[in-house]
Amino acid sequence: MSNLTKTLIVLLTISSIFLCGIVVTYVANADNYRQKYDNLRKDRDALNQAKDSLTKQLNEKIQQKDDIEKSLSNDIASLKSKAGDLQTTLSNVEREKAELLERVNSWASITKDFSATTEKQTQTLNAALEDVKQLKAEQIKLSQELDQTSATLVEKTAIIETVAAEKKRLIEEKADLESRLDKLLQAGGKVAAASSPVTPEKGTALPAQPIGSPISLKGLVSQVDAKNSLATISIGSADGVKEGMKFHVTRGDEFICDILIVNVDTEKAVGVLELVQQPLKVGDNAATNL
Amino acid sequence: MSPEGQLRSVKPVPLSNLYTIILALAFGVVLATAVFVAYKCYFDYGTLFKIP
Repeated sequence: MSNLTKTLIVLLTISSIFLCGIVVTYVANADNYRQKYDNLRKDRDALNQAKDSLTKQLNEKIQQKDDIEKSLSNDIASLKSKAGDLQTTLSNVEREKAELLERVNSWASITKDFSATTEKQTQTLNAALEDVKQLKAEQIKLSQELDQTSATLVEKTAIIETVAAEKKRLIEEKADLESRLDKLLQAGGKVAAASSPVTPEKGTALPAQPIGSPISLKGLVSQVDAKNSLATISIGSADGVKEGMKFHVTRGDEFICDILIVNVDTEKAVGVLELVQQPLKVGDNAATNL
Repeated sequence: MSPEGQLRSVKPVPLSNLYTIILALAFGVVLATAVFVAYKCYFDYGTLFKIP
């Protein structure tokens, strides 16, 4: 056996071992494509089944969606009708609200006018009460004056009646005396002369003077003795004050009382309080005429 | 190398089985490889020559 043959044998053996090693390594490490194919096929089948189930679910969901859309459409339509009704109700309520607001405003204005009217009437009532008070004071004063005038009139009437009785008695005496004188003169053949009265006849009676002081005197209250109902005024006989005069005491527009003068000095006068309406104070005005 | 030399130098040489063993080894390796590949093809794909 030649060396070449030996060499070729060795090379053939080495190359065979090398190539066989490569083939074995490759085959051992090669992937199992059939198994991969089966797995992929199974995966595909599973995916197809999943696709079918998902398609069914999708169809069901689409059906449910259609149903829900129909129900929602119905709900929307009913809600729109309700909204229309509510809108109508709202407009009615707003109109009623506007009417009520107008009524409230009118009532407020009426109430305001009524309050103003009430206030004016209250003021008028207060003024009327003040006038009534003053009129009552004047009435009291006039009634007092009327009482005094009535008493004076009764007294004068009594005097007149007395005078009339005296006059009648004198006339009767005169007639008796004239008859007796005529008898005496006729016995002597003489005629009695016509008689002439010593006191001349008075004329026709004139109307009485108005009640009240003819002059107007004004002074101030200088002293007050409330215990004895006496008061002193700051004017006296030097100013024309006389006993029996009546001074009306006022404070502002209020009537306080009357002072009937009972004692007169040169610069002052003392009087008795009458028709006392309020407590008298020093400094109040005293005048014969209001 | 002359025939005489050959004749003269021809002497019985014992046959060496070394290269035979090497060839047998190579054959065995190739055969084992072929068996292994056939085994893998058959058990993985179910056939030896047909494409599944």
